[in-house]
Amino acid sequence: MGRPALLLLALCAAGARGLYFHIGETEKRCFIEEIPDETMVIGNYRTQMWDKQKEVFLPSTPGLGMHVEVKDPEGKVVLSRQYGSDGRFTFTSHTPGDHQICLHSNSTRMALFAGGRLRVHLDIQVGEHANNYPEIAAKDKLTELQLRARQLLDQVEQIQKEQDYQRYREERFRLTSESTNQRVLWWSIAQTVILILTGIWQMRHLKSFFEAKKLV
Amino acid sequence: MGDKIWLPCPAFLLATLFSVLLPGAAAFTPSLDSDFTFTLPAGQKECFYQPMPLKASLEIEYQVLDGAGLDIDFHLASPEGRTLVFEQRKSDGVHTVETEDGDYMFCFDNTFSTISEKVIFFELILDNMGEQEQEQEDWKKYITGTDMLDMKLEDILESINSIKARLSKSGHIQTLLRAFEARDRNIQESNFDRVNFWSMVNLVVMVVVSAIQVYMLKSLFEDKRKSRT
Repeated sequence: MGRPALLLLALCAAGARGLYFHIGETEKRCFIEEIPDETMVIGNYRTQMWDKQKEVFLPSTPGLGMHVEVKDPEGKVVLSRQYGSDGRFTFTSHTPGDHQICLHSNSTRMALFAGGRLRVHLDIQVGEHANNYPEIAAKDKLTELQLRARQLLDQVEQIQKEQDYQRYREERFRLTSESTNQRVLWWSIAQTVILILTGIWQMRHLKSFFEAKKLV
Repeated sequence: MGDKIWLPCPAFLLATLFSVLLPGAAAFTPSLDSDFTFTLPAGQKECFYQPMPLKASLEIEYQVLDGAGLDIDFHLASPEGRTLVFEQRKSDGVHTVETEDGDYMFCFDNTFSTISEKVIFFELILDNMGEQEQEQEDWKKYITGTDMLDMKLEDILESINSIKARLSKSGHIQTLLRAFEARDRNIQESNFDRVNFWSMVNLVVMVVVSAIQVYMLKSLFEDKRKSRT
């Protein structure tokens, strides 16, 4: 490890410029990603623990892990794994729709965490943002122009996938709207008919009742 | 977890070189634009923090996608704790601030609602982040080979850069449209459920009321009969 790890730590201590939030010990935070199918999602997180004595957030927390659970639109679990205090999770969607990414800490040492908050830095990359271009450039030995062209192709492909997904959603939306309209119409007609029939039944029943009781 | 970067295999030497000279590429360097969608349970408040350098620009856009009144309270505070934006019961909003150095906090507050949970989408667009942009483009130095035709290459590269910027904008607009559509779809689905439910209730109430009316009238007359004899 050695030098690279130190450089890494230095950069992290300097403050990676990412969004963060605070989470309680047993709390679970969920994020929803609405994505088309065959899309790769990469999530990176970093955790810091609150040190009560020094009143500061410790730069890294060995031994503290986060449990990551990803559910697909049908509710089926796609990924359910434990990671360390800094982790990176990846999954690829096979059905289009709302995927739910949930994070919660697996801390069992309640004393360590007493009154504690955990600071979680989170970054989620979807689709072509998830591609690691330095790696692709090295693997395929691309020149700058070729790499730029490759990036453009990936970007356009992602936009096209989103558009296809958008068409599928719009169709579902239209079906629901039309079904609602139909039902409003049929319910109104049915209610009117029932009202009329009930009125007729009431009148006839009462009339025959009065006649039977010899009041009319 | 970035393990493969530390492997000393010759095949990965180039990748290792990247990581030693540029730790940023090995750690996670968060992207400049990010969006998140999350569920906010009833009666709760959730806050997010974004560290910013001096003289950068932070744009935050949020929308409520699902949940009863489709409204939420929004609060944006500067690193010193001063409130920059405070909005109540809004269904969407856009705010841009010129930043100071420090952590900006923004909160979504659903405490006014006791039963309905809200689904909130928000997007952060960061500009002029300075050294961040440099880091992200540094990997260009590590590509292999050279391109021929140096003179025309400049023009081609310029147009490619412009295309990339425009495609990013298209992608961004798509994200916005997706959020709008998701909200409309949720409204429609809840309409559908409501129409079904209240129609059934209406039907049952009508039938029950008419039956009660008839039997009440009948019982009135029967009592009179009994009292007479």
